[in-house]
Amino acid sequence: MTEPPEAPAAEQPDPGASAGPAGEAGGRKRGPGSGVAARAAAAVPRSVTGRATLAGFIVSALLILAIVFGSRLLRNFDSALLPYAVATVFLAFGVAYRYTVWISAPGARRLFVQGRRSLFSAENFRRAPTALPKMAATYLGFQKFLGARSHARWAAHQLIFWGCILASLITFPLTWGWFTFTSSTGSGPGYEMRVWGFKILGFDSLNIIGWLMFHGLDVAAVLVIPGASYFLWRRMKDRGAITGQRFAYDMVPLLALIVISVTGLLLTFSSLFLHGGGYEFLAILHMVSVVFTLIYIPFGKFFHIVQRPAAVGMQLFKYTGRQDDQVFACRRCEEPVDTGPYVENLRGTMRDLDLGFDAWAEYCPRCKRVLRGSAYLSQVKKGFK
Amino acid sequence: MMGRTMFIDPGRCIGCQACVSACRECDSHRGKSMIHLDYTDEGHSVAALPTVCMHCEDPVAPCAEVCPADAILVTADGVVQQADTTRCIGCANCVNACPFGVPKIDLRAKLQMKCNLCYDRTAYGLAPMCATVCPTGALFYGTAEELRAERPGVQVADTFVFGESEVRTGVAMVVPAERVQWPVPGGLPVVEINGKDVRR
Repeated sequence: MTEPPEAPAAEQPDPGASAGPAGEAGGRKRGPGSGVAARAAAAVPRSVTGRATLAGFIVSALLILAIVFGSRLLRNFDSALLPYAVATVFLAFGVAYRYTVWISAPGARRLFVQGRRSLFSAENFRRAPTALPKMAATYLGFQKFLGARSHARWAAHQLIFWGCILASLITFPLTWGWFTFTSSTGSGPGYEMRVWGFKILGFDSLNIIGWLMFHGLDVAAVLVIPGASYFLWRRMKDRGAITGQRFAYDMVPLLALIVISVTGLLLTFSSLFLHGGGYEFLAILHMVSVVFTLIYIPFGKFFHIVQRPAAVGMQLFKYTGRQDDQVFACRRCEEPVDTGPYVENLRGTMRDLDLGFDAWAEYCPRCKRVLRGSAYLSQVKKGFK
Repeated sequence: MMGRTMFIDPGRCIGCQACVSACRECDSHRGKSMIHLDYTDEGHSVAALPTVCMHCEDPVAPCAEVCPADAILVTADGVVQQADTTRCIGCANCVNACPFGVPKIDLRAKLQMKCNLCYDRTAYGLAPMCATVCPTGALFYGTAEELRAERPGVQVADTFVFGESEVRTGVAMVVPAERVQWPVPGGLPVVEINGKDVRR
Protein backbone atom coordinates (compact mmCIF):
# COMPACT_ATOMS: atom_id res chain seq x y z
CA MET A 1 0.00 0.00 0.00
CA THR A 2 1.38 3.37 -0.92
CA GLU A 3 0.39 6.92 -0.20
CA PRO A 4 -1.37 8.78 -3.04
CA PRO A 5 0.55 11.68 -4.50
CA GLU A 6 -0.77 15.12 -3.76
CA ALA A 7 -2.34 17.12 -6.53
CA PRO A 8 -0.15 20.05 -7.52
CA ALA A 9 -1.15 23.14 -5.61
CA ALA A 10 -0.46 25.57 -8.39
CA GLU A 11 0.03 25.73 -12.11
CA GLN A 12 -2.72 23.31 -12.99
CA PRO A 13 -2.18 22.68 -16.65
CA ASP A 14 -4.85 23.23 -19.20
CA PRO A 15 -6.41 19.79 -19.85
CA GLY A 16 -6.09 20.52 -23.54
CA ALA A 17 -2.35 20.73 -23.09
CA SER A 18 -2.27 17.04 -22.31
CA ALA A 19 -2.58 16.37 -26.00
CA GLY A 20 1.02 17.49 -26.27
CA PRO A 21 3.99 15.72 -24.81
CA ALA A 22 2.93 14.03 -21.62
CA GLY A 23 5.90 15.51 -19.86
CA GLU A 24 4.12 18.81 -19.81
CA ALA A 25 1.33 17.32 -17.74
CA GLY A 26 1.47 17.54 -13.99
CA GLY A 27 3.15 20.05 -11.75
CA ARG A 28 6.89 19.59 -11.83
CA LYS A 29 8.77 20.14 -8.62
CA ARG A 30 12.17 21.42 -9.56
CA GLY A 31 14.55 21.89 -6.74
CA PRO A 32 17.72 23.87 -7.32
CA GLY A 33 20.13 21.89 -9.40
CA SER A 34 17.62 19.24 -10.33
CA GLY A 35 17.34 20.22 -13.99
CA VAL A 36 19.22 18.51 -16.77
CA ALA A 37 21.38 21.53 -17.58
CA ALA A 38 22.10 22.21 -13.92
CA ARG A 39 23.21 18.64 -13.44
CA ALA A 40 25.38 18.72 -16.52
CA ALA A 41 27.03 21.92 -15.34
CA ALA A 42 27.51 20.48 -11.88
CA ALA A 43 28.96 17.27 -13.33
CA VAL A 44 32.53 18.56 -13.41
CA PRO A 45 32.81 21.66 -11.21
CA ARG A 46 35.67 24.04 -11.79
CA SER A 47 37.29 23.07 -8.48
CA VAL A 48 37.47 19.47 -9.69
CA THR A 49 39.04 20.37 -13.03
CA GLY A 50 41.52 22.58 -11.17
CA ARG A 51 42.39 19.73 -8.81
CA ALA A 52 42.63 17.30 -11.72
CA THR A 53 44.95 19.63 -13.64
CA LEU A 54 47.15 19.98 -10.58
CA ALA A 55 47.22 16.19 -10.11
CA GLY A 56 48.15 15.82 -13.79
CA PHE A 57 51.04 18.27 -13.51
CA ILE A 58 52.33 16.68 -10.30
CA VAL A 59 52.27 13.15 -11.68
CA SER A 60 53.88 14.26 -14.97
CA ALA A 61 56.59 16.15 -13.07
CA LEU A 62 57.25 13.12 -10.87
CA LEU A 63 57.54 10.93 -13.95
CA ILE A 64 60.00 13.35 -15.58
CA LEU A 65 62.09 13.33 -12.40
CA ALA A 66 61.91 9.53 -12.29
CA ILE A 67 63.07 9.38 -15.91
CA VAL A 68 65.95 11.80 -15.27
CA PHE A 69 67.18 10.09 -12.11
CA GLY A 70 66.31 6.53 -13.19
CA SER A 71 68.39 6.97 -16.34
CA ARG A 72 71.29 8.30 -14.26
CA LEU A 73 70.84 11.92 -15.31
CA LEU A 74 69.93 10.83 -18.85
CA ARG A 75 73.23 9.00 -19.38
CA ASN A 76 71.28 5.77 -20.03
CA PHE A 77 68.45 7.52 -21.88
CA ASP A 78 68.10 6.42 -25.49
CA SER A 79 67.32 9.55 -27.49
CA ALA A 80 65.86 7.41 -30.30
CA LEU A 81 63.05 6.58 -27.89
CA LEU A 82 62.34 10.20 -26.97
CA PRO A 83 58.87 10.34 -28.66
CA TYR A 84 57.80 7.31 -26.62
CA ALA A 85 59.03 8.87 -23.38
CA VAL A 86 57.25 12.15 -24.16
CA ALA A 87 54.05 10.22 -24.89
CA THR A 88 54.27 8.51 -21.49
CA VAL A 89 54.51 11.92 -19.83
CA PHE A 90 51.32 12.99 -21.64
CA LEU A 91 49.81 9.65 -20.65
CA ALA A 92 50.67 10.29 -16.99
CA PHE A 93 49.02 13.72 -17.17
CA GLY A 94 45.90 12.39 -18.88
CA VAL A 95 45.48 9.43 -16.56
CA ALA A 96 45.97 11.53 -13.42
CA TYR A 97 43.54 14.17 -14.73
CA ARG A 98 40.84 11.71 -15.74
CA TYR A 99 41.29 9.63 -12.59
CA THR A 100 40.85 12.69 -10.38
CA VAL A 101 37.73 13.79 -12.26
CA TRP A 102 36.40 10.24 -12.15
CA ILE A 103 36.80 9.70 -8.41
CA SER A 104 35.37 13.15 -7.69
CA ALA A 105 31.91 12.11 -8.93
CA PRO A 106 29.66 11.11 -6.00
CA GLY A 107 29.16 7.46 -6.98
CA ALA A 108 32.83 6.75 -7.58
CA ARG A 109 34.06 8.88 -4.67
CA ARG A 110 31.96 7.11 -2.05
CA LEU A 111 32.83 3.62 -3.26
CA PHE A 112 36.47 4.62 -3.63
CA VAL A 113 36.59 5.85 -0.02
CA GLN A 114 34.84 2.72 1.26
CA GLY A 115 37.09 0.50 -0.81
CA ARG A 116 40.21 2.24 0.45
CA ARG A 117 38.96 1.93 4.02
CA SER A 118 38.41 -1.82 3.56
CA LEU A 119 41.79 -2.14 1.85
CA PHE A 120 43.78 -0.51 4.63
CA SER A 121 41.81 -1.98 7.51
CA ALA A 122 44.13 -3.95 9.79
CA GLU A 123 41.12 -5.81 11.19
CA ASN A 124 40.08 -6.96 7.72
CA PHE A 125 43.60 -8.16 7.05
CA ARG A 126 43.69 -10.12 10.32
CA ARG A 127 40.35 -11.78 9.65
CA ALA A 128 40.88 -12.60 5.99
CA PRO A 129 44.53 -12.14 5.00
CA THR A 130 44.08 -13.99 1.72
CA ALA A 131 40.94 -12.13 0.58
CA LEU A 132 42.74 -9.29 -1.17
CA PRO A 133 45.41 -11.29 -3.03
CA LYS A 134 42.76 -13.82 -4.04
CA MET A 135 40.47 -11.11 -5.40
CA ALA A 136 43.35 -9.39 -7.18
CA ALA A 137 44.39 -12.66 -8.81
CA THR A 138 40.94 -13.89 -9.82
CA TYR A 139 39.48 -10.50 -10.69
CA LEU A 140 42.39 -8.55 -12.14
CA GLY A 141 44.74 -11.30 -13.26
CA PHE A 142 42.64 -14.20 -14.47
CA GLN A 143 39.42 -12.19 -14.88
CA LYS A 144 37.07 -15.01 -13.95
CA PHE A 145 34.09 -12.73 -14.42
CA LEU A 146 34.82 -12.57 -18.14
CA GLY A 147 34.57 -16.36 -18.31
CA ALA A 148 31.03 -16.05 -16.96
CA ARG A 149 30.21 -13.73 -19.87
CA SER A 150 31.78 -15.88 -22.59
CA HIS A 151 34.65 -18.37 -22.66
CA ALA A 152 35.87 -17.12 -26.04
CA ARG A 153 35.92 -13.50 -24.87
CA TRP A 154 37.73 -14.55 -21.73
CA ALA A 155 40.42 -16.37 -23.72
CA ALA A 156 40.84 -13.48 -26.17
CA HIS A 157 41.00 -10.94 -23.37
CA GLN A 158 43.58 -13.01 -21.50
CA LEU A 159 45.78 -13.04 -24.60
CA ILE A 160 45.51 -9.25 -24.95
CA PHE A 161 45.94 -8.71 -21.21
CA TRP A 162 49.11 -10.76 -20.75
CA GLY A 163 50.51 -9.51 -24.06
CA CYS A 164 50.02 -5.90 -22.99
CA ILE A 165 51.40 -6.55 -19.49
CA LEU A 166 54.52 -8.10 -20.99
CA ALA A 167 54.93 -5.29 -23.52
CA SER A 168 54.43 -2.62 -20.84
CA LEU A 169 56.97 -4.21 -18.49
CA ILE A 170 59.53 -4.13 -21.29
CA THR A 171 58.84 -0.88 -23.10
CA PHE A 172 58.07 1.58 -20.33
CA PRO A 173 61.34 1.08 -18.41
CA LEU A 174 63.22 0.84 -21.70
CA THR A 175 61.91 4.18 -23.00
CA TRP A 176 62.56 5.82 -19.64
CA GLY A 177 66.17 4.69 -19.73
CA TRP A 178 65.71 2.50 -16.67
CA PHE A 179 66.78 -0.71 -18.44
CA THR A 180 69.98 -1.02 -20.36
CA PHE A 181 71.52 -3.97 -22.16
CA THR A 182 75.27 -3.64 -22.55
CA SER A 183 77.97 -5.92 -23.77
CA SER A 184 81.56 -5.64 -22.71
CA THR A 185 82.63 -7.20 -26.02
CA GLY A 186 80.78 -4.71 -28.18
CA SER A 187 78.51 -7.02 -30.18
CA GLY A 188 77.94 -9.82 -27.70
CA PRO A 189 76.98 -12.59 -27.34
CA GLY A 190 77.46 -11.93 -23.62
CA TYR A 191 75.12 -9.17 -22.37
CA GLU A 192 74.40 -7.54 -19.05
CA MET A 193 70.99 -6.27 -18.07
CA ARG A 194 71.08 -3.25 -15.80
CA VAL A 195 68.21 -1.56 -14.00
CA TRP A 196 68.83 2.03 -12.88
CA GLY A 197 72.45 1.34 -13.65
CA PHE A 198 72.69 -1.68 -11.34
CA LYS A 199 73.55 -5.04 -12.87
CA ILE A 200 70.65 -7.47 -12.49
CA LEU A 201 71.76 -10.38 -14.65
CA GLY A 202 74.12 -11.44 -17.34
CA PHE A 203 73.03 -13.65 -20.22
CA ASP A 204 74.12 -15.08 -23.51
CA SER A 205 72.09 -13.56 -26.32
CA LEU A 206 72.35 -16.78 -28.34
CA ASN A 207 70.66 -19.07 -25.82
CA ILE A 208 66.95 -19.34 -25.09
CA ILE A 209 66.97 -16.77 -22.27
CA GLY A 210 68.82 -14.33 -24.49
CA TRP A 211 66.36 -14.94 -27.32
CA LEU A 212 63.41 -14.34 -25.00
CA MET A 213 65.01 -11.18 -23.61
CA PHE A 214 65.44 -9.71 -27.06
CA HIS A 215 62.15 -10.98 -28.48
CA GLY A 216 59.85 -10.27 -25.54
CA LEU A 217 57.93 -7.72 -27.57
CA ASP A 218 57.52 -10.20 -30.43
CA VAL A 219 56.03 -12.69 -27.96
CA ALA A 220 53.71 -9.95 -26.70
CA ALA A 221 52.64 -9.15 -30.27
CA VAL A 222 51.95 -12.83 -30.97
CA LEU A 223 49.68 -12.88 -27.92
CA VAL A 224 47.89 -9.64 -28.71
CA ILE A 225 47.19 -10.18 -32.43
CA PRO A 226 44.85 -13.20 -32.12
CA GLY A 227 43.07 -11.71 -29.09
CA ALA A 228 42.46 -8.32 -30.72
CA SER A 229 41.55 -9.97 -34.04
CA TYR A 230 38.90 -12.09 -32.32
CA PHE A 231 37.35 -8.98 -30.76
CA LEU A 232 37.49 -7.17 -34.08
CA TRP A 233 35.77 -10.10 -35.79
CA ARG A 234 33.17 -10.14 -33.02
CA ARG A 235 32.55 -6.42 -33.46
CA MET A 236 31.72 -7.07 -37.10
CA LYS A 237 29.67 -10.27 -36.66
CA ASP A 238 28.04 -10.38 -33.21
CA ARG A 239 24.75 -8.52 -33.31
CA GLY A 240 24.84 -7.85 -29.58
CA ALA A 241 28.27 -6.27 -29.85
CA ILE A 242 27.30 -4.31 -32.95
CA THR A 243 24.29 -2.74 -31.19
CA GLY A 244 25.24 0.82 -30.37
CA GLN A 245 28.93 0.34 -31.07
CA ARG A 246 30.99 3.41 -31.91
CA PHE A 247 33.99 3.41 -34.19
CA ALA A 248 36.19 5.65 -32.05
CA TYR A 249 35.31 3.89 -28.80
CA ASP A 250 35.02 0.24 -29.84
CA MET A 251 37.03 -0.23 -33.02
CA VAL A 252 39.95 2.19 -32.75
CA PRO A 253 41.49 0.52 -29.64
CA LEU A 254 41.46 -2.87 -31.37
CA LEU A 255 42.86 -1.48 -34.59
CA ALA A 256 45.54 0.36 -32.60
CA LEU A 257 46.59 -2.84 -30.80
CA ILE A 258 46.76 -4.75 -34.07
CA VAL A 259 48.73 -2.02 -35.88
CA ILE A 260 51.21 -1.77 -33.00
CA SER A 261 51.68 -5.53 -32.87
CA VAL A 262 51.94 -6.09 -36.61
CA THR A 263 54.38 -3.21 -37.18
CA GLY A 264 56.39 -4.43 -34.21
CA LEU A 265 56.64 -7.92 -35.70
CA LEU A 266 57.48 -6.45 -39.11
CA LEU A 267 60.42 -4.64 -37.55
CA THR A 268 61.81 -8.00 -36.46
CA PHE A 269 60.99 -9.48 -39.86
CA SER A 270 62.80 -6.62 -41.61
CA SER A 271 65.82 -7.01 -39.41
CA LEU A 272 66.01 -10.82 -39.74
CA PHE A 273 65.00 -11.40 -43.35
CA LEU A 274 65.19 -8.12 -45.26
CA HIS A 275 68.55 -6.92 -43.98
CA GLY A 276 66.78 -3.89 -42.50
CA GLY A 277 64.78 -3.10 -45.64
CA GLY A 278 61.94 -0.67 -44.88
CA TYR A 279 63.03 -0.58 -41.25
CA GLU A 280 62.96 3.21 -40.91
CA PHE A 281 59.49 3.53 -42.36
CA LEU A 282 58.21 0.69 -40.17
CA ALA A 283 59.89 2.19 -37.11
CA ILE A 284 58.11 5.50 -37.69
CA LEU A 285 54.77 3.78 -38.32
CA HIS A 286 55.23 1.73 -35.15
CA MET A 287 56.20 4.79 -33.15
CA VAL A 288 53.23 6.83 -34.40
CA SER A 289 50.79 4.03 -33.54
CA VAL A 290 52.26 3.55 -30.06
CA VAL A 291 52.34 7.29 -29.30
CA PHE A 292 48.76 7.70 -30.49
CA THR A 293 47.61 4.74 -28.35
CA LEU A 294 49.40 5.99 -25.24
CA ILE A 295 47.81 9.42 -25.57
CA TYR A 296 44.40 7.82 -26.26
CA ILE A 297 44.44 5.67 -23.10
CA PRO A 298 42.89 8.23 -20.71
CA PHE A 299 40.08 9.18 -23.07
CA GLY A 300 38.58 6.02 -24.45
CA LYS A 301 37.97 2.38 -23.84
CA PHE A 302 41.47 1.79 -22.52
CA PHE A 303 40.65 3.81 -19.42
CA HIS A 304 39.10 0.64 -18.00
CA ILE A 305 42.68 -0.51 -17.41
CA VAL A 306 42.93 2.26 -14.82
CA GLN A 307 39.38 1.86 -13.49
CA ARG A 308 39.32 -1.90 -12.95
CA PRO A 309 41.81 -2.08 -10.07
CA ALA A 310 39.61 0.35 -8.11
CA ALA A 311 36.78 -2.17 -8.38
CA VAL A 312 38.73 -4.57 -6.15
CA GLY A 313 38.14 -2.10 -3.31
CA MET A 314 34.42 -2.26 -4.00
CA GLN A 315 34.51 -6.06 -3.93
CA LEU A 316 36.40 -5.96 -0.65
CA PHE A 317 33.88 -3.48 0.81
CA LYS A 318 31.00 -5.82 0.00
CA TYR A 319 32.96 -8.88 1.10
CA THR A 320 33.66 -7.29 4.48
CA GLY A 321 29.96 -6.53 4.96
CA ARG A 322 29.02 -10.12 4.14
CA GLN A 323 31.62 -11.47 6.54
CA ASP A 324 30.00 -9.44 9.29
CA ASP A 325 26.54 -10.80 8.36
CA GLN A 326 25.43 -7.25 7.66
CA VAL A 327 22.98 -8.31 4.97
CA PHE A 328 20.23 -5.80 4.33
CA ALA A 329 16.84 -7.38 3.67
CA CYS A 330 14.12 -5.80 1.54
CA ARG A 331 11.64 -4.00 3.79
CA ARG A 332 8.73 -5.69 2.06
CA CYS A 333 9.67 -9.23 1.01
CA GLU A 334 12.73 -9.63 3.25
CA GLU A 335 14.84 -11.00 0.42
CA PRO A 336 18.46 -9.80 0.69
CA VAL A 337 19.11 -6.55 -1.18
CA ASP A 338 22.83 -6.20 -0.48
CA THR A 339 25.03 -5.54 2.54
CA GLY A 340 23.86 -2.91 5.03
CA PRO A 341 26.93 -0.65 4.65
CA TYR A 342 26.56 -0.83 0.87
CA VAL A 343 22.88 0.24 0.98
CA GLU A 344 23.76 3.10 3.33
CA ASN A 345 26.60 4.10 1.01
CA LEU A 346 24.26 4.08 -1.99
CA ARG A 347 21.68 6.17 -0.15
CA GLY A 348 24.43 8.69 0.59
CA THR A 349 25.36 8.76 -3.09
CA MET A 350 21.73 9.35 -4.04
CA ARG A 351 21.42 12.18 -1.53
CA ASP A 352 24.63 13.72 -2.91
CA LEU A 353 23.06 13.63 -6.35
CA ASP A 354 19.82 15.21 -5.16
CA LEU A 355 17.90 12.03 -5.94
CA GLY A 356 15.20 12.39 -3.32
CA PHE A 357 13.98 8.81 -3.45
CA ASP A 358 16.94 7.23 -1.66
CA ALA A 359 14.56 5.46 0.78
CA TRP A 360 13.56 3.34 -2.23
CA ALA A 361 17.02 1.69 -2.07
CA GLU A 362 15.74 -0.30 0.92
CA TYR A 363 13.34 -2.22 -1.30
CA CYS A 364 14.30 -4.91 -3.79
CA PRO A 365 13.65 -4.15 -7.49
CA ARG A 366 10.68 -6.53 -7.65
CA CYS A 367 8.97 -4.96 -4.66
CA LYS A 368 9.49 -1.51 -6.17
CA ARG A 369 7.70 -2.65 -9.30
CA VAL A 370 4.91 -4.39 -7.41
CA LEU A 371 4.35 -1.37 -5.16
CA ARG A 372 4.25 0.88 -8.20
CA GLY A 373 1.75 -1.49 -9.82
CA SER A 374 -0.36 -1.48 -6.65
CA ALA A 375 -0.29 2.32 -6.59
CA TYR A 376 -1.39 2.42 -10.23
CA LEU A 377 -4.10 -0.11 -9.42
CA SER A 378 -5.47 1.75 -6.43
CA GLN A 379 -4.86 5.37 -7.35
CA VAL A 380 -4.75 5.73 -11.12
CA LYS A 381 -6.80 3.18 -12.98
CA LYS A 382 -9.07 1.31 -10.62
CA GLY A 383 -10.72 -0.48 -13.53
CA PHE A 384 -7.32 -2.10 -14.06
CA LYS A 385 -8.34 -4.59 -11.36
CA MET B 1 9.11 11.86 -23.45
CA MET B 2 10.98 10.72 -26.51
CA GLY B 3 9.49 11.24 -29.97
CA ARG B 4 8.96 7.60 -30.84
CA THR B 5 8.68 5.72 -27.63
CA MET B 6 6.90 3.02 -25.72
CA PHE B 7 3.47 3.57 -24.20
CA ILE B 8 2.49 1.17 -21.44
CA ASP B 9 -1.14 0.51 -20.61
CA PRO B 10 -1.30 -1.92 -17.68
CA GLY B 11 -5.11 -1.94 -18.03
CA ARG B 12 -4.69 -3.87 -21.28
CA CYS B 13 -2.08 -6.35 -19.99
CA ILE B 14 -3.37 -9.91 -19.65
CA GLY B 15 -0.09 -11.25 -18.23
CA CYS B 16 0.44 -13.65 -21.14
CA GLN B 17 4.25 -13.36 -21.00
CA ALA B 18 4.56 -13.03 -24.78
CA CYS B 19 6.69 -9.91 -24.20
CA VAL B 20 8.97 -11.82 -21.84
CA SER B 21 9.57 -14.51 -24.45
CA ALA B 22 10.03 -12.03 -27.28
CA CYS B 23 12.49 -9.99 -25.24
CA ARG B 24 14.81 -13.00 -25.14
CA GLU B 25 15.07 -12.80 -28.92
CA CYS B 26 16.48 -9.28 -28.83
CA ASP B 27 19.93 -9.41 -30.42
CA SER B 28 21.49 -7.08 -27.88
CA HIS B 29 20.88 -9.55 -25.01
CA ARG B 30 19.96 -12.75 -26.79
CA GLY B 31 18.66 -15.48 -24.49
CA LYS B 32 18.00 -13.17 -21.58
CA SER B 33 14.72 -11.38 -21.04
CA MET B 34 15.00 -7.84 -19.76
CA ILE B 35 11.32 -6.98 -19.48
CA HIS B 36 9.63 -7.54 -16.12
CA LEU B 37 6.08 -8.77 -15.81
CA ASP B 38 4.75 -8.54 -12.28
CA TYR B 39 1.41 -9.61 -10.91
CA THR B 40 0.69 -6.80 -8.52
CA ASP B 41 -2.02 -8.47 -6.46
CA GLU B 42 -1.29 -12.12 -7.08
CA GLY B 43 -3.99 -14.51 -5.91
CA HIS B 44 -6.63 -11.81 -5.81
CA SER B 45 -6.42 -10.15 -9.19
CA VAL B 46 -5.25 -10.94 -12.71
CA ALA B 47 -3.76 -7.46 -12.95
CA ALA B 48 -0.26 -7.51 -14.40
CA LEU B 49 2.28 -4.77 -14.90
CA PRO B 50 4.87 -4.97 -17.67
CA THR B 51 7.96 -2.91 -16.89
CA VAL B 52 10.48 -1.86 -19.49
CA CYS B 53 13.23 0.68 -18.85
CA MET B 54 11.51 4.04 -18.53
CA HIS B 55 14.55 5.89 -19.93
CA CYS B 56 14.46 8.65 -17.32
CA GLU B 57 15.01 12.16 -18.65
CA ASP B 58 14.94 14.35 -15.54
CA PRO B 59 16.81 13.61 -13.40
CA VAL B 60 19.01 12.22 -16.13
CA ALA B 61 18.90 8.45 -15.73
CA PRO B 62 19.50 7.91 -11.98
CA CYS B 63 21.15 4.59 -12.86
CA ALA B 64 23.78 6.43 -14.91
CA GLU B 65 24.22 9.10 -12.25
CA VAL B 66 25.00 6.64 -9.44
CA CYS B 67 27.24 4.46 -11.61
CA PRO B 68 30.77 4.67 -10.17
CA ALA B 69 32.34 3.46 -13.42
CA ASP B 70 30.60 5.78 -15.92
CA ALA B 71 29.38 2.61 -17.58
CA ILE B 72 25.85 3.67 -18.55
CA LEU B 73 25.64 5.77 -21.67
CA VAL B 74 22.61 7.85 -22.56
CA THR B 75 22.58 8.23 -26.33
CA ALA B 76 21.56 11.48 -28.01
CA ASP B 77 18.13 10.07 -28.77
CA GLY B 78 17.44 9.69 -25.04
CA VAL B 79 17.86 5.92 -24.83
CA VAL B 80 19.58 4.81 -21.63
CA GLN B 81 21.82 1.99 -22.82
CA GLN B 82 22.73 -1.08 -20.84
CA ALA B 83 26.06 -1.00 -19.06
CA ASP B 84 29.20 -0.91 -21.15
CA THR B 85 30.66 -4.40 -20.72
CA THR B 86 34.18 -2.98 -20.56
CA ARG B 87 33.46 -0.65 -17.68
CA CYS B 88 30.71 -2.26 -15.60
CA ILE B 89 32.12 -3.53 -12.29
CA GLY B 90 28.90 -5.19 -11.14
CA CYS B 91 28.48 -3.04 -8.03
CA ALA B 92 24.65 -3.01 -8.37
CA ASN B 93 24.35 0.72 -7.64
CA CYS B 94 22.11 1.09 -10.69
CA VAL B 95 20.00 -1.92 -9.73
CA ASN B 96 19.17 -0.50 -6.31
CA ALA B 97 18.94 3.16 -7.29
CA CYS B 98 16.55 2.73 -10.21
CA PRO B 99 13.18 3.99 -8.97
CA PHE B 100 11.37 1.63 -11.34
CA GLY B 101 13.29 -1.54 -10.40
CA VAL B 102 14.48 -2.16 -13.96
CA PRO B 103 18.19 -3.16 -14.20
CA LYS B 104 19.23 -6.74 -13.63
CA ILE B 105 22.63 -7.92 -12.56
CA ASP B 106 24.69 -11.02 -13.20
CA LEU B 107 26.91 -11.20 -10.14
CA ARG B 108 29.19 -13.89 -11.59
CA ALA B 109 29.74 -11.93 -14.78
CA LYS B 110 29.87 -8.67 -12.79
CA LEU B 111 27.62 -7.12 -15.37
CA GLN B 112 24.44 -5.10 -15.34
CA MET B 113 21.88 -5.67 -18.08
CA LYS B 114 18.71 -3.81 -18.78
CA CYS B 115 16.13 -3.00 -21.41
CA ASN B 116 17.69 -0.76 -24.05
CA LEU B 117 14.45 -0.33 -25.98
CA CYS B 118 15.75 -2.99 -28.43
CA TYR B 119 18.27 -0.50 -29.72
CA ASP B 120 19.27 -2.87 -32.51
CA ARG B 121 15.70 -2.49 -33.81
CA THR B 122 14.56 0.97 -32.72
CA ALA B 123 17.72 2.57 -34.14
CA TYR B 124 16.41 1.41 -37.52
CA GLY B 125 12.79 2.44 -36.94
CA LEU B 126 11.50 -0.99 -35.95
CA ALA B 127 9.38 -1.52 -32.84
CA PRO B 128 10.95 -3.28 -29.84
CA MET B 129 10.34 -7.03 -29.63
CA CYS B 130 7.88 -6.77 -26.72
CA ALA B 131 5.66 -4.19 -28.46
CA THR B 132 5.79 -6.24 -31.67
CA VAL B 133 4.29 -9.32 -30.05
CA CYS B 134 1.97 -7.83 -27.40
CA PRO B 135 -1.47 -9.18 -28.38
CA THR B 136 -3.50 -6.56 -26.51
CA GLY B 137 -1.59 -3.37 -27.17
CA ALA B 138 -0.54 -3.00 -23.54
CA LEU B 139 2.87 -2.18 -25.00
CA PHE B 140 2.63 0.26 -27.90
CA TYR B 141 5.59 1.72 -29.78
CA GLY B 142 5.26 4.89 -31.78
CA THR B 143 4.56 8.57 -31.31
CA ALA B 144 1.81 9.99 -29.10
CA GLU B 145 -0.01 11.01 -32.30
CA GLU B 146 0.13 7.47 -33.67
CA LEU B 147 -1.23 6.18 -30.37
CA ARG B 148 -4.09 8.66 -30.42
CA ALA B 149 -4.86 7.82 -34.03
CA GLU B 150 -5.42 4.22 -32.93
CA ARG B 151 -7.02 5.04 -29.58
CA PRO B 152 -8.87 8.34 -29.83
CA GLY B 153 -8.90 10.41 -26.66
CA VAL B 154 -6.27 8.34 -24.87
CA GLN B 155 -4.20 10.28 -22.36
CA VAL B 156 -0.62 9.57 -21.44
CA ALA B 157 1.69 10.67 -18.63
CA ASP B 158 5.45 10.59 -18.35
CA THR B 159 5.92 12.05 -14.89
CA PHE B 160 6.16 9.81 -11.85
CA VAL B 161 6.28 10.80 -8.24
CA PHE B 162 8.34 9.06 -5.58
CA GLY B 163 7.67 10.76 -2.26
CA GLU B 164 8.71 14.37 -2.76
CA SER B 165 10.64 13.69 -5.95
CA GLU B 166 9.42 13.60 -9.48
CA VAL B 167 10.96 11.71 -12.34
CA ARG B 168 10.20 12.51 -15.97
CA THR B 169 10.70 9.62 -18.32
CA GLY B 170 11.22 8.94 -21.99
CA VAL B 171 8.65 6.12 -21.89
CA ALA B 172 5.05 7.01 -21.01
CA MET B 173 2.07 5.33 -19.39
CA VAL B 174 -1.57 5.47 -20.37
CA VAL B 175 -3.70 7.12 -17.68
CA PRO B 176 -7.39 7.99 -17.36
CA ALA B 177 -8.26 11.48 -18.63
CA GLU B 178 -9.08 12.80 -15.17
CA ARG B 179 -5.65 11.69 -13.89
CA VAL B 180 -3.52 13.24 -16.56
CA GLN B 181 -2.65 16.42 -14.66
CA TRP B 182 -1.19 14.48 -11.75
CA PRO B 183 2.07 12.61 -11.84
CA VAL B 184 1.71 8.85 -11.81
CA PRO B 185 2.36 7.45 -8.31
CA GLY B 186 5.62 5.55 -8.23
CA GLY B 187 4.86 3.60 -5.07
CA LEU B 188 6.84 5.69 -2.59
CA PRO B 189 6.19 6.47 0.24
CA VAL B 190 5.15 3.02 1.29
CA VAL B 191 2.67 3.31 4.13
CA GLU B 192 1.62 -0.28 4.66
CA ILE B 193 3.15 -3.69 4.05
CA ASN B 194 1.03 -6.79 4.58
CA GLY B 195 -1.37 -4.85 6.78
CA LYS B 196 1.42 -3.38 8.90
CA ASP B 197 1.93 0.38 9.11
CA VAL B 198 5.51 1.11 8.05
CA ARG B 199 5.41 4.91 8.24
CA ARG B 200 8.38 6.13 10.20
